[in-house]
Amino acid sequence: MNKRLKLITLSILIPFFSGCIPAPTPQISLGGIGTGVTRNNRVENQPIIDKEYGEKPINYINAIRSYCSNKIPRANLSQYKYGTPKRAYKRKGFAYGGAIAWRGWLVETSIATPTRTGKLLTPKPYMFLFKGQQVVEHILGYSHKLITKVDR
Amino acid sequence: MANFNTHFMVASVASAIVSGTLLSMEVLSPQEAVYAFGLGTLGGLLPDVDSAHSKSIRVGFNVLSLLMTIMIIFVKSSTYSLIEMFTVAGLVFVGIRYALLDIFRKISKHRGMFHSIPVALIWGIIVSILMQYLFSLNSLVSWVYGFMVTMGYFVHLILDETYSVDLRNRRVKKSLGTAMKFGKFKTTKDKIQTIVIYLAIPLLMSIAPDTTLVQNALFSHDAWITFKDILLPYDGRWFIH
Repeated sequence: MNKRLKLITLSILIPFFSGCIPAPTPQISLGGIGTGVTRNNRVENQPIIDKEYGEKPINYINAIRSYCSNKIPRANLSQYKYGTPKRAYKRKGFAYGGAIAWRGWLVETSIATPTRTGKLLTPKPYMFLFKGQQVVEHILGYSHKLITKVDR
Repeated sequence: MANFNTHFMVASVASAIVSGTLLSMEVLSPQEAVYAFGLGTLGGLLPDVDSAHSKSIRVGFNVLSLLMTIMIIFVKSSTYSLIEMFTVAGLVFVGIRYALLDIFRKISKHRGMFHSIPVALIWGIIVSILMQYLFSLNSLVSWVYGFMVTMGYFVHLILDETYSVDLRNRRVKKSLGTAMKFGKFKTTKDKIQTIVIYLAIPLLMSIAPDTTLVQNALFSHDAWITFKDILLPYDGRWFIH
């Protein structure tokens, strides 16, 4: 291979490996999470459907409250603070293969439950995992090694 | 030194008290409390795993080999044929129960670093990591399970130290101080072993689940309020509610 050809080959390959080639513009299918209006000027409470993550829960407050009624003790006497839905996915435990088990929307919620004598305790953090408009699972804590939050 | 039955009994009683309390405090569900009890009892047998011919080593390796075999079946049941699955499961069982046990017997030394405080902590951290990564449990339950193993482990070490004091003959046995120790410092090998064990703690903690929840659930003012609430009958009436 002559010198010129080597130079051309290198000048083509080097940017690829060094990351100088600009990345393609991301295809945004969602926008304006947590804001009133999306990038396509759609109103927030119209259903947003992400190809991978599905429909964004709209009525998540009611969904969480009804889900909690038989999962958390004294749920009806508890105080709730809701975050906004975020896209996330969860892997199965590695004992079960570690594949992606759930992909959808997650709502962080803090719940202050009373003790059996009525004393209100410090709020506990929970993550509620949605599939469409339904809560499918709740996890204690705002972090889990097998959950990846796509939206910060 | 306490025997296997004493360790088993005392660890079971301690685990029953702790898991029952955690159940009442609503830290654990009834099902989780049963697992916590089992892990606490297992923790009480773990330190003697380094004794080549103890019952603990046989029990420990039986549990480990069965657990790994069941796990293989869980993971591969959807892809492997029955013949493949049973072959692999059989190999895993025999490999751990016999081959690994034999190797372990050759390299371990009774009352070595297995009987020490940092190793008790390491077992707890490892269990919490495994619970979250392998079984996808939340941080609180993962840490409670780890805590139960460490608690059982400490019960074993305390019991061994207690048995090294002979109250009838009013003498102290040679074994005093060999169970509940912070490390071994006699030879260079001992020192290196101790350093490696202490270095492992922060390394394991860096991949361990979040500790905030377990701190709040067990070691906070809220935990104390909840404990006081469940300690005595809340309506002042005993046994009739």
